[in-house]
Amino acid sequence: MSDARLKWLLLPAALFVLAIYAWPTLGLFRNAFNETGPTGAMVETWSLKTTAEVLEDNFTFDLTLNSLWLSLSATLLALAMSYPVALFLFRTNSRFRGLLAVVAIMPMLISGVVRVFGWLAILGDRGLVNSLAQSFGLISAPMKLVFNWTGVTIGLAESIMPYMILALLAGFGQLDRTLEEASRSLGATPMRTFLRVTLPLSLPALALAAGLGFVLSMSAYITPKLLGGGRVFVLATEIFEQATTNTNWPMASVLAIYTLVLLLLLLVTSNLAARGLKR
Amino acid sequence: MSYLELSGLQKRYRDSVAVDDVSLSVEKGEAVALLGPSGCGKTTTLRMLAGLVDPDRGAIRLDGAEVTKLPAHKRNMGYVFQSYALFPHLSVARNVGFGLEERGVAKAEIARRVAEALAMVRLSGLDRRRPRELSGGQQQRVALARSLVIRPSVLLLDESLSNLDAKLRDTMRHEIRSIQRSLGITTLFVTHDQVEALTMCDRIAVMHRGGIAQIGSPEDIYERPATRFVAEFVGRANALPATHDAEGRVVLWGERLPVAAPASGEFDLFVRPQRIRILPISEAVAEGMVRVTGKVLRSVFVGDHVEVLVEGAAGQIQVELQSGTALPQEGAEVALVWQARDTLPFPRETA
Repeated sequence: MSDARLKWLLLPAALFVLAIYAWPTLGLFRNAFNETGPTGAMVETWSLKTTAEVLEDNFTFDLTLNSLWLSLSATLLALAMSYPVALFLFRTNSRFRGLLAVVAIMPMLISGVVRVFGWLAILGDRGLVNSLAQSFGLISAPMKLVFNWTGVTIGLAESIMPYMILALLAGFGQLDRTLEEASRSLGATPMRTFLRVTLPLSLPALALAAGLGFVLSMSAYITPKLLGGGRVFVLATEIFEQATTNTNWPMASVLAIYTLVLLLLLLVTSNLAARGLKR
Repeated sequence: MSYLELSGLQKRYRDSVAVDDVSLSVEKGEAVALLGPSGCGKTTTLRMLAGLVDPDRGAIRLDGAEVTKLPAHKRNMGYVFQSYALFPHLSVARNVGFGLEERGVAKAEIARRVAEALAMVRLSGLDRRRPRELSGGQQQRVALARSLVIRPSVLLLDESLSNLDAKLRDTMRHEIRSIQRSLGITTLFVTHDQVEALTMCDRIAVMHRGGIAQIGSPEDIYERPATRFVAEFVGRANALPATHDAEGRVVLWGERLPVAAPASGEFDLFVRPQRIRILPISEAVAEGMVRVTGKVLRSVFVGDHVEVLVEGAAGQIQVELQSGTALPQEGAEVALVWQARDTLPFPRETA
């Protein structure tokens, strides 16, 4: 098939994306220039009033810090757990490798809402962790593990782990086992070999996975909302609040675009930083 | 006791035996080749020596001390990998200095020894390059320098020349051999290339199906192969089906040969193509020579030699003549003559 005819294969997907993504995004940008009247109804206009309101509000600043901090901690936590798993999957000769890989990405197959309720059962006041700790006499009163930042960070880390494992596996290309053998034959202990060879060579994979995990965390809504128990405020939950509870569409639109720009800025800076590192 | 002793080494993998009862003694300063086809267990043997594979059975002794269970990083063996395994994120100098840094050698000393090692492999001035900026031959030299700079007890080379083009391989062969000799470093060399084994080593261990088929000097291996496999694998040889006559003498192509052969059973006579001379059919030959006759099927000029294929009463014989000699006419009736002692009988392989 010639290239000219080949491109028609893209048509269904292109139409679909246009209909459900590009068109509403345009709507989003349009709404950002509208205002909300005193009655709460949307006033169609072309002004920057809503944008100014959002940017001047200290709460936006708090939300931004919250989102960044939550995404950073969830990403680091998930990375610390995903990296060894991915390294194991990449390296193992076990005949169960395929099965283990499926188990590792299994959480992707379960609805986010169901997973959150799973975490409630584990981390709740009478959940698995607290009752075990209490029955061993480690603590007298239950630890507050849900409906706060701790719970959200744990839940979020778990939900992004499968994606990060996949990203790590995809990024491990350069990691040649012979290099580790060379390092050991030259007298480096397994630990030194990890620090001097394995870790430096997996930096590109780590960057890829961290980037993906961060973006996913920034846009996560269900986990902060449900595991946060109304006490955790981030950009994503606020956008949802404004759009549904307050039906303040202009405000929601401005916040959504604000988040988008924030992520794009982070993406560009991290790319520039990565390029600088490579030199 | 020898400097390096392998005794009864065995390694099994899930469903196959990779190395089976390999014993080998290597003297200090000696270069020994492990020669064999792929899958014969030569690389596994080398990896067991380096501590990269644990043997299931057997022992490795180095300079009188048992090292069988010693982890790789404590063995002080220089391993040059087939793929060179240079660290892509480190400069040439850091690659070469890697082992010294791990040994806690002082910085100035490292710089001095790295420069020395790079000079030895003729790479001075490239120390700041990254491995990917080097040619295959240069990478090979860096890998060699990296293994030598730690002053290893034994140098292990795993098919180290197989990724180079033919000409470079030739140069590196001589270079490695002369470095090995001048440092007097004990070396084990894994290869499937007989020329490499024959030219670079004091002794050759021919490996076959996980075991050692024959150990000996290059000359021994080539001139006096102990088994049919060795005769076939090292150098080229005609395998000529022969029979006994009523008096028990060996008969080939209808001619009685002055050759000793197994008393019974089917067997083949092995003759190297370059040991055979082609003479006019009328010419008489001396006592103790083998002489059979046939017709020249074709002659091929290959540059440094001429390959002649002669068809006789029961099969074909390949002859290799030095070029410069007259090319035998195709279709000509000729006599093939060789020394009786160049004829090696081996029982027919029963598959």
